[in-house]
Amino acid sequence: MKQSIIINGTKHEINVDSDMPLLWFLRDELEFTGTKFGCGKGLCGACTVHVNGQAIRSCITPVSTLVDKQITTIEGLSENGDHALQRAWLNNKVPQCGYCQAGQIMNAASLLAVNPAPTIEEIEASMQGNICRCGTYQRITKAISEAADTLSKEA
Amino acid sequence: MSNSTVSRRHFLKIVGVATGGLCISIALPGNVLAEKGIIEDSSTELNAFIHLDENGDTTIYCGRCEMGQGISTALPSAVADEMEADWQRVTVKQGDADEKFGPQATGGSASIRKMYLPMRKAGATAKLMLIAAAAKVWKTSPDNCYAQSHFVINKLNQQKLGFGELASIAKNMPIPDTVTLKKKSEFNYIGKELARHDQNEVVVGKRTYGVDTKMPGLKYAAMIHCPVLGGSIKSVDKTLALKMKGVTDVIEIPRFDVPFGSIGGVAVVADNTWTAQQAVEKLKVEWDLGENVVYNTKEYKQQLVANVEKPATLAKERGNVHRALKKSKHKHKATYTGGHLSHSPMEPNASVVWVQKDSCEVWASTQSPVDIQKVLGQYLKREPTDIVVHVAMAGGAFGRKFKCDYVHEAAVISEKTGVPIQLIWSREEDMRTGYYHSINAQHIEASMDEQGNVTGWLHRAAFPSIPSLFDPSLVRAPKGALSAISNHLFGVQSIRVESGDAKAHTRIGWYRAVNAIFYGFAFSTFADELAYKAGKDPLTFVNQLFDNNNKKKQKKDIKRIKAVLALVAEKSNWHNRENLPEGQGIGLAVHYSFKSFVAMAVHVEVKNDDIKVLNVDCAIDCGQILNIDGATAQMEGAVVMGMSLALTTEITFRDGAVVNSNFHDYPVMRIADMPNVRVHITDSDKSPTGLGEPGVAPFAPALSNAVFAASGKRYRDLPFKPMAV
Ligand code: FES
Ligand code: FES
Repeated sequence: MKQSIIINGTKHEINVDSDMPLLWFLRDELEFTGTKFGCGKGLCGACTVHVNGQAIRSCITPVSTLVDKQITTIEGLSENGDHALQRAWLNNKVPQCGYCQAGQIMNAASLLAVNPAPTIEEIEASMQGNICRCGTYQRITKAISEAADTLSKEA
Repeated sequence: MSNSTVSRRHFLKIVGVATGGLCISIALPGNVLAEKGIIEDSSTELNAFIHLDENGDTTIYCGRCEMGQGISTALPSAVADEMEADWQRVTVKQGDADEKFGPQATGGSASIRKMYLPMRKAGATAKLMLIAAAAKVWKTSPDNCYAQSHFVINKLNQQKLGFGELASIAKNMPIPDTVTLKKKSEFNYIGKELARHDQNEVVVGKRTYGVDTKMPGLKYAAMIHCPVLGGSIKSVDKTLALKMKGVTDVIEIPRFDVPFGSIGGVAVVADNTWTAQQAVEKLKVEWDLGENVVYNTKEYKQQLVANVEKPATLAKERGNVHRALKKSKHKHKATYTGGHLSHSPMEPNASVVWVQKDSCEVWASTQSPVDIQKVLGQYLKREPTDIVVHVAMAGGAFGRKFKCDYVHEAAVISEKTGVPIQLIWSREEDMRTGYYHSINAQHIEASMDEQGNVTGWLHRAAFPSIPSLFDPSLVRAPKGALSAISNHLFGVQSIRVESGDAKAHTRIGWYRAVNAIFYGFAFSTFADELAYKAGKDPLTFVNQLFDNNNKKKQKKDIKRIKAVLALVAEKSNWHNRENLPEGQGIGLAVHYSFKSFVAMAVHVEVKNDDIKVLNVDCAIDCGQILNIDGATAQMEGAVVMGMSLALTTEITFRDGAVVNSNFHDYPVMRIADMPNVRVHITDSDKSPTGLGEPGVAPFAPALSNAVFAASGKRYRDLPFKPMAV
């Protein structure tokens, strides 16, 4: 029997070389292009997705290590694109080119899942692996704080 | 027919109608626009393009390339504003390569400067035709009608007709001879904080970039280039690569001997990018490295310094600098340097090309779609216009994607394999086969009188220049590349500009802000040094430098540059800086580039040589502002890029090849270093100018000045804290 992984709730058979990183399985095999290639070495965060709710760098995570795991990509973060972070991102007009933003949002979502009320320092520490070459950092920090506030009010 | 008698009809034409809707293209011949002072180049033709469906959905095309600078929101919003279209009903589309969109090569912070008025006129023309259509329906005079929020309204009886209902009638209305543009007070979108048109797609991962193009039958390629510019392939052992499962081809790419052409290399074609990338590692390529193997940036930079610290080739002289220097008792000199920089946008070079017998289609993030048509037309021996280029959103570019070698390469592979090819460069290839911001050295010597007026300014600059791309035999930057020095707004009694020898050994390319990076650094840092030398407050001293400029044609610029400087001084609390805690300081810098004025005040804390940037105040005057949010974002981004290049990023060459390879040894700025950036925008009615680049220049000098104020340590070499690679 073929092995499979679960992506945004749907089961997908792993029909590729087992050492293929999840990033390329997503992008080239399943054509989920929301997850981006930036460096291929775990250095930039553009490829961030969740494995069982936790942020990982998909460019250095072979699919073989993810058998039967629950993967969430930016396309599956929320049903209607209305996760508190996504709303805060729009409200603060965070994106410039936008290329890094899927990774930023996925990384931030993983942070808020374990730390619902992060300090600025905690936000910065946890977002340090995500590069934005356009320079949207100030708005990213603001949007994460805002989303944390929203979530605490909604809870 | 003389220009003035060109009939409106000749340059306003309806070019095609789809599904009963209205398509308006406004083509203004370049000479008319040049006459009106709208564009500088009289040979260019400009267009705007609006499509209105019968249900009112409006598509506005953006002809300029989008890479995150926000142009595809700014320009279409100006169209919508004049048209009285409801922005919620507007979809923005990126135009394919096509001369009907006017000049598409996007660089030099020129899009807004060149396209603001033509785009507004396009909107205003559409509005008048819609009004004329409604007047016809109501059998009344157009004077009795006005447009508002996607409707035309009859003033006499308040009847309304939607833009969609009017589309098919409007398309047959005569094109108005003249249009009256809106007053500033009437703007709906211009000068407001409109969000990017595509941000909703970005946050759900649906925004696609060049790298995201997919289609049936797509094959994936990765490649390697000769590490040294000018080298070539001696031999390729493809055996191991071809043995890999999923690898279908190994293809040698020839050098394209055209401006910005591919330097050639070896590509692997496979079923997916991962396999292709793995297979590239398995190639055994022997290179003939060529003569640039002598290139070592460490020694080269020392040589540049030596070349500017001795007499060099005269570029320009006004007055007699040597006499001024000799006469003066108050003199100062300093040498500044900077390293190569790699653009390193987050989206690496990528394209899809499909060459078929009778067609060639390209999907790419690019700043220069028409150049792709030209180069591929030549390569495939076809008409440039037969090359269809779909311009994708670029995941950052900063000048790199003006040069589309990664498209030429995909075309070769597709031509040879007959299938659509997606070529994605690895980050390592992107960093090592770049076009680099020039390594540089400058030496300035100046003399002052007793009152601190600058009597002589000797300025030598040595850097391999962009023109070396087209003429590799150049041994130094040509005079034109140094004109920014003699045109600088500082008022000095005599000035002498010299160009030091600096032969290029790599490809030099526009990098966001280009030469303004090092000119801005040298001018504003040296002025700060002179102020201390003269015992004056740096702000007072710099204002005096501007006041001493009595060139008539720079008077207006002087007023504007002093105003932005005064604004940041005020906002940063410069005048109370005595009260800052120990170890903190504020530095000022101001620079005029790409026709915009930007000043920065950088507030730092320095502890044992550790530099922490706390606040950056930034004041801009770019004339009438199109989008406050976009302008603000550009400044925030400029600070981040300025901070990377001021503190850490530098590309190092050893034995002709780039040593850096990825973000671990090219440490661009990350979030924890982000200062608090406050942007202050001058309210102005002057014609608008661009902001993509001008913000980068003032950061580094303001930082150098701030660190000096805080600690007494002067940094004159960019980056201040290079990483040993
Ligand atoms: S692409 Fe995975 S961390 Fe950069
Ligand atoms: S928005 Fe462009 S890289 Fe982050």
